[in-house]
Amino acid sequence: MVKRLSGLQREVLHLYRTSIRIAYSKPVDNRPRFFSFIHEEFGKYKDLSRKDFTTIEHLLRVGKKKVEMYSKPELKNIH
Amino acid sequence: MLRSIFRTVTPVVSTFRTASSSLAGRRICTRFVTPVRLYSSESVDKNEITTRVIDVIKAFDKTAASKEVSPQTAFHKDLGLDSLDTVELLVAIEEEFDIEIPDKVADELKSVGETVEYIASNPEAH
Repeated sequence: MVKRLSGLQREVLHLYRTSIRIAYSKPVDNRPRFFSFIHEEFGKYKDLSRKDFTTIEHLLRVGKKKVEMYSKPELKNIH
Repeated sequence: MLRSIFRTVTPVVSTFRTASSSLAGRRICTRFVTPVRLYSSESVDKNEITTRVIDVIKAFDKTAASKEVSPQTAFHKDLGLDSLDTVELLVAIEEEFDIEIPDKVADELKSVGETVEYIASNPEAH
């Protein structure tokens, strides 16, 4: 069974991949915090219907902005 | 990453050349120039890649440690990982081998064997 992913689904995966990569660029001790933060943020909308395009698109935009902000090298830890 | 090493290597070579030619002449100079290669030169062999990939998978919190992992193991079907977990696992594997798997390839990797195959074909993996 090969599941074809829609463009929107692939975009979400791309955002997730970028976030995880950013987490790996942070100091080792603080990485678990970034990981749990990412899980939390994506987990919030786990039950969203995949046909709810406008909401997903909105969340993607918000997510991209956040990724941009958290990717700054000065930002080393979150609480 | 490789590119940044190259960038640092070139000036080192040139300083060696100027320093050694003024000190001791050509023979030492060539000795410095040829073997400068700071990264591991041998590509890793497949068995080693497999064991390292399996180690990463075992260390991943979401996989049941008791599960048997073989090259035939599929991430979704056998390990019960969803698409996001698979992405996370692949990034962990990227970190281990110091490579970056492009999105298009990563979306197609569905099993341990395919991942090992890709890493073996990537000359930058070490």
